[in-house]
Amino acid sequence: MSRYILRRLIQVVPTVFGVTLITFVLVHLAPGDPVEVLASGNGDAAYYQFMRAKYRLDESLLTQLWTYFANVLRGDFGTSYLTGESVVRMIMPRIGSTLLLAVSSIVVSTLVGLTFGTLAAWRVNRLLDRAVLRLSVFVAAAPSFWIAQVMLLVFALRLGIFPTDGRNSPGFEGTVLAMAIDTLWHLVLPMSVLAIQESSTVARLTRTGIVDQLGDDHIRLARAKGLGDLQVVLRHALRRSLTSVITVIGGRIGHVFSGAVVVELIFGWPGLGQLILSSSQSRDTPVLLGVLMLIAAAVVLMNLLTDLSYMIIDPRVRLK
Amino acid sequence: MCGPHLLSQVDDNYSRTMRKIWTSAISLVFALTLFPIATTNASTVVSPESSCTKEGAKAQSPKKQTLICARIQGTKIWVPLGGDLVVAISQDPGSLNPAATTAGAVHTASELMFNGLVELDDKLNPVPELAESWTVNKKATIYTFKLRRGVKWHDGQPFTSADVKFTFEEVLLKYHSRTRAAMLSALATIYAPNPHTVEFIFKESYGPLLLQLDVTEAPILPAHIYRGSDPTKNPANLAPVGTGPYKFGSYARGAEIVLNRNPNYFKKGKPYLDRVIMRVVPNSATQVVAFESGSVDFLWGVPGPDRARLLARKKAFDTLVTRRNPGGANCMMTVSFNLRRPITSNLAVRQAIFHSLNRNAFLQNVIFGEGSVAVSPFSKGIVWAWGQNLKLPEYNTTKANALLDSAGWTGRDGSTRTAQNVVGVANGTKLSIDFLHFPTFAAYGELYKAQLKEVGIDVRLRPLESGPFATAVFNNRDFDSNIISYCNGNDPEIGIRRMYDSAQIGPVAFSNAAAYSNVTVDSMFQQARNTLDITKRQSLYQKIQEQLVKDVPYVWLVETKGTRIFRSGCGGFRPYSLFAEEAYCSN
Repeated sequence: MSRYILRRLIQVVPTVFGVTLITFVLVHLAPGDPVEVLASGNGDAAYYQFMRAKYRLDESLLTQLWTYFANVLRGDFGTSYLTGESVVRMIMPRIGSTLLLAVSSIVVSTLVGLTFGTLAAWRVNRLLDRAVLRLSVFVAAAPSFWIAQVMLLVFALRLGIFPTDGRNSPGFEGTVLAMAIDTLWHLVLPMSVLAIQESSTVARLTRTGIVDQLGDDHIRLARAKGLGDLQVVLRHALRRSLTSVITVIGGRIGHVFSGAVVVELIFGWPGLGQLILSSSQSRDTPVLLGVLMLIAAAVVLMNLLTDLSYMIIDPRVRLK
Repeated sequence: MCGPHLLSQVDDNYSRTMRKIWTSAISLVFALTLFPIATTNASTVVSPESSCTKEGAKAQSPKKQTLICARIQGTKIWVPLGGDLVVAISQDPGSLNPAATTAGAVHTASELMFNGLVELDDKLNPVPELAESWTVNKKATIYTFKLRRGVKWHDGQPFTSADVKFTFEEVLLKYHSRTRAAMLSALATIYAPNPHTVEFIFKESYGPLLLQLDVTEAPILPAHIYRGSDPTKNPANLAPVGTGPYKFGSYARGAEIVLNRNPNYFKKGKPYLDRVIMRVVPNSATQVVAFESGSVDFLWGVPGPDRARLLARKKAFDTLVTRRNPGGANCMMTVSFNLRRPITSNLAVRQAIFHSLNRNAFLQNVIFGEGSVAVSPFSKGIVWAWGQNLKLPEYNTTKANALLDSAGWTGRDGSTRTAQNVVGVANGTKLSIDFLHFPTFAAYGELYKAQLKEVGIDVRLRPLESGPFATAVFNNRDFDSNIISYCNGNDPEIGIRRMYDSAQIGPVAFSNAAAYSNVTVDSMFQQARNTLDITKRQSLYQKIQEQLVKDVPYVWLVETKGTRIFRSGCGGFRPYSLFAEEAYCSN
């Protein structure tokens, strides 16, 4: 057991290294560099030469790669070209924002998905079931930026019940509690956009998981004992189908992070997604690599946690 | 009425009493004024431009704010004190040091905390800022500035000539790409004989200095904070100390920057707002929604279709249309021809393309009227230098066809012309050129392609992001034609010379894209730089532009303007640098 966990933890290293290496090469192969961003269309040849030498961008790709990884191994993730700040200090304040968005949307989407999936399975092949299926296909197919814009127009502009952008009201000052309430109020719309799409996956998985069991012996036994449809579904079928729902949580973390890029852009949510976007646009390589490394590690670790949680839910699963 | 020196003496009691009187009289006066005006034009009643009369104060109808009489851009008006202004910005600036970069996002977010030695007025004349006065010797090699006394940094330290000398030598001349490119080679030394005097000494005559000292081109940093550090990494870049009208309050990464009123600002009485909040809203559609919902008060720009819709609701919003933008001043959308390619090196072909472009259609359909059709190679925003009475090739497809025929492009392959007897081109070659553009300029490309098709020229569009674009155009010269927004700046020496100077053909982004080379033009630019005499410079620039119109290395397409939109009740904005120094908002 502990050897299994150790082996899995060691696997994190090559995965993160691979992601970083590929990103490093891709960013450097892409034309343009941070000096052009800093100059924004101005400057003479001497300026470009001076700045590229300052940031050691004039060295060969291999030298830059070597320097970068040597520094990372020493715990130095580099300095942003644009802000002059250390990458760790740039990323830290944004982790909380993205975690809040990601975790809340996963929790909400799981609860909503389980509810709708169970309802559909209970009324399998009837009107409610078909409605849930149609709806889940629709929201899964609709692009998230479109859902985000529609929600913005309806709930923020027309109804005016939620704010349009940001994590807090402009220039907000107040107690910790007031701040937390203000943040939650700002969280609702971006969280919902991520949760809506995620919940459709969960709903369909739940439904299928339950419906597949309906002919099984333990369900037949439950019915024979005289339990009603709803009780059979809730007490006997739902628990076993939880396994498949939990299986996908690890994968959904990665999905939620990528969805967060779009959602954070549209709702001006100050998280890692915005940082990925701005640092790749400005070729701020150390920052981009730092964020991607963090996300890669998070996804791998979440997958591990998911695998471990099988055991608790389904004791038949034995880890080797 | 009040005099300009009364600003700081207006006390609360005075205005409170006045407010009471007006409140009691307001219904009667309002009914009386509204009645006749309802049939004419309602906007004359609430115009913020009315001078400091009772009616003007009534029109502001403040609820909790004190009114003071202030002179804003030459007009005396009642101005409400206090309140917040929320400004949407598209990018998290990352750094708040405007001296170490020319990136627009950094300047937009940070300039209000700093000052330059001079400021530029609406007509681009230099006016005193940190420098109280200045003298220039006859040869324009020595500029002597007397600095304003009693100016304090936000941390209480005195501002002196050492700050100016330090900022130029250690920051601006190294990291500010425009100031470095313009001044580094020309400047001999900066001399600070005493705390209140600075001298700029040049190796040769240098005319345009006074236009390069505003807060955008040369913001002054505190030497006592930056000395001995790498100015690109100093912690003060994230919590700056300046001399400007607003002090740094807080910076939440990716979210907002809060600036607080500087009560000790050296321009007594200013600024009027308590806080300016720069809010990061990256998505332009969200910016518009935030503005309409009232959470944001000020937008730097609005996409064309949304603008028309917002402007239809005139009562809720006011606008300021200007040629000065965060990216640069006096910008012109310019088509460059590659003069080193066989097809576009031919003058008749370039003239034909110019004739086949309906530039008014670009103005109306691409930028929704936000600008004007260019009338000279230099922007009309440089009021003394743009070319008078020039005849740019007009939209005329008959002339375009005749020119292409005369150049030997007489064959046909479908709707595209082919070469018959064209110098340097094999017979039967299709008249097909590419057009490089940023993805954001795609609408220009579509129209260019459609209009050139009318005269039998095939256009291949090549959208490229700015990095790849710069590499393809300036390093590899791999293009036939392209489009660039060349910001002409405040002086031809700063933003225009780079487009035509043969010394600036090379791998530097946004220099001489056409690879235009003309010895006479080169030397006239040099002469114009070496003199202070404005009439002499004017006549040299006139001659340069006459020559350029003959050579057509570029198509000067349209001059672009920016439209700031802000909530009604706010006002006093300037086009760009220190845009909110005199701004006010009634709650």
